[in-house]
Amino acid sequence: MTATDAAPDQALIELDDESPERLYELFEAHGWGDGLPLVAPTTGRVDAMLEHSAGHPDEVLATLAPRFGRLTRRVVAVNAVLAGCPPEVFPVVLTAALALSQPEANLRGVNATTHPVSFMTIVHGDIARTAGFNAGVGAFGPGNRANATVGRAIRLMMLHVAGARPGFGDAATQGQPSKYTYCAAENADESPWPSYPASIGINAASAVTVHCGENPHNVHDMEAEGDPVTILGKYASAMTSLGMNNACMPFAEFFVAFGPEHAQSLAKVGLDRDGIASFLHEHAALPLRDFHRHFKGYGRTTWQELSDEDELSGMTTDGGKIRIMVIGGPGKHGSIIPSWGMTRSVTLPLTA
Amino acid sequence: MTVTTTPTLIYRPDGEPGSEPLSITPGPTSLAGIRIGVMENAKPNSDVVMGRAAEIMAARVGGTVTVLTGKRLPNSAEFDNAKGDEMGISEGVLQLLKEKADVVITGVADCGSCSAYTAYDTIELERNGIPTILTTTTRFEQIARTLVSDFGLPSARTLVLPHPIGGTDHERLFEWGEQAVDEMIIQFGRQV
Repeated sequence: MTATDAAPDQALIELDDESPERLYELFEAHGWGDGLPLVAPTTGRVDAMLEHSAGHPDEVLATLAPRFGRLTRRVVAVNAVLAGCPPEVFPVVLTAALALSQPEANLRGVNATTHPVSFMTIVHGDIARTAGFNAGVGAFGPGNRANATVGRAIRLMMLHVAGARPGFGDAATQGQPSKYTYCAAENADESPWPSYPASIGINAASAVTVHCGENPHNVHDMEAEGDPVTILGKYASAMTSLGMNNACMPFAEFFVAFGPEHAQSLAKVGLDRDGIASFLHEHAALPLRDFHRHFKGYGRTTWQELSDEDELSGMTTDGGKIRIMVIGGPGKHGSIIPSWGMTRSVTLPLTA
Repeated sequence: MTVTTTPTLIYRPDGEPGSEPLSITPGPTSLAGIRIGVMENAKPNSDVVMGRAAEIMAARVGGTVTVLTGKRLPNSAEFDNAKGDEMGISEGVLQLLKEKADVVITGVADCGSCSAYTAYDTIELERNGIPTILTTTTRFEQIARTLVSDFGLPSARTLVLPHPIGGTDHERLFEWGEQAVDEMIIQFGRQV
């Protein structure tokens, strides 16, 4: 950044002091903030954040719906400071925001819906280590600054730049806790498979994935032998619910986050991502009559409409909709993360 | 102990909004002989309540309901071949409305994402020169008005019905449709 990159005057507010109380007062008056204490985005702190960027701070990189607020490195940095981010995570926040601005993420629907959908952000590769993200014990929280503040910075950008304020640009009937923060790192070191980005053809030293979905649904299997059928049967069971949007939109994705022990038990018998996805696609299924009864044909295909009522129909149209990675530490737990539905996950190489 | 404070400069967190401001298409100077299109968004009972309102309005002003259509049903094959943001009016439906309707009523925006899509559809039709009413409900009026404003058209023609539309019996929906006609006539007649 250079002296010519100084902030435009209209972007600045003079504050008589930067105490938490004064900041609360200011933000509440404008309808800003997530309800938690904030760090004042002073020019000095924002400049320090921008030291980790690699372009002009006021270049318009994208817009975020529904407000179509203009996304610049500077506004990303402001929200990262507010969230309490350490400066070295700035590229992760920026990359996640750019991923969410892609058409397939569909922010216009995701932000406005009555569904509680939030933005699961997964950090991959070198940046996870160098910026101090947690891929191990308790990766989804709490306790790690990088994970906690990056997820929060993304939410703050949605509130401020995208205009996703509850009752205005966000109609979520109940919301969900992950709307405050929702970020973890992939545990590639303990994964028996290639990294998630590599598995989808992205070979970058660092990358970020975003998925618009529900909170993680826990899956517990502690059978002593690590039988792959008892493990995967429980994941398939957790994926099979008529209350999820995936039920009426089987073209939507599921993310499956195996704990390392489950992943290693599966790999030990020769299962790879494709084999696991095929199993889950086959077993996460219900009789057609259940779908017909509950959804009046909504989102179902012609062949399903023509089939017998006791035929099984999958929660997914095919195994390719099931996205697999390893997250977390020791123990016999993992999770599945259903989708909002009319959205696609996005993985981008890290950018600054 | 006295605590002293120093004024400091902080950044706004919201940045510039991106939408260009738009105006509504002026309504017809007379509604006599008007051709009314109804475009429903697949939300339950949207066709029932808007269809009834359009029929009663047509009877009152000497017009016709010429089109009753959906816009694009989300079947899996269609979505698989599309990007997530492409959930608006299909080209075929847009052409149908342009050819056969002078005005359109669309909705019902009685949830979050459908409010966003209905707001977007309303603006798309207005951009194509068709005066269009966005139909919402009392419980989603605030979000619908915020969204049309966010998308650049704060003056969008808006009709607010009781809530909910889904799950309400048809007899009641017919009443609501009939009661909406006065407001529809006012909204379609607006010039600005």
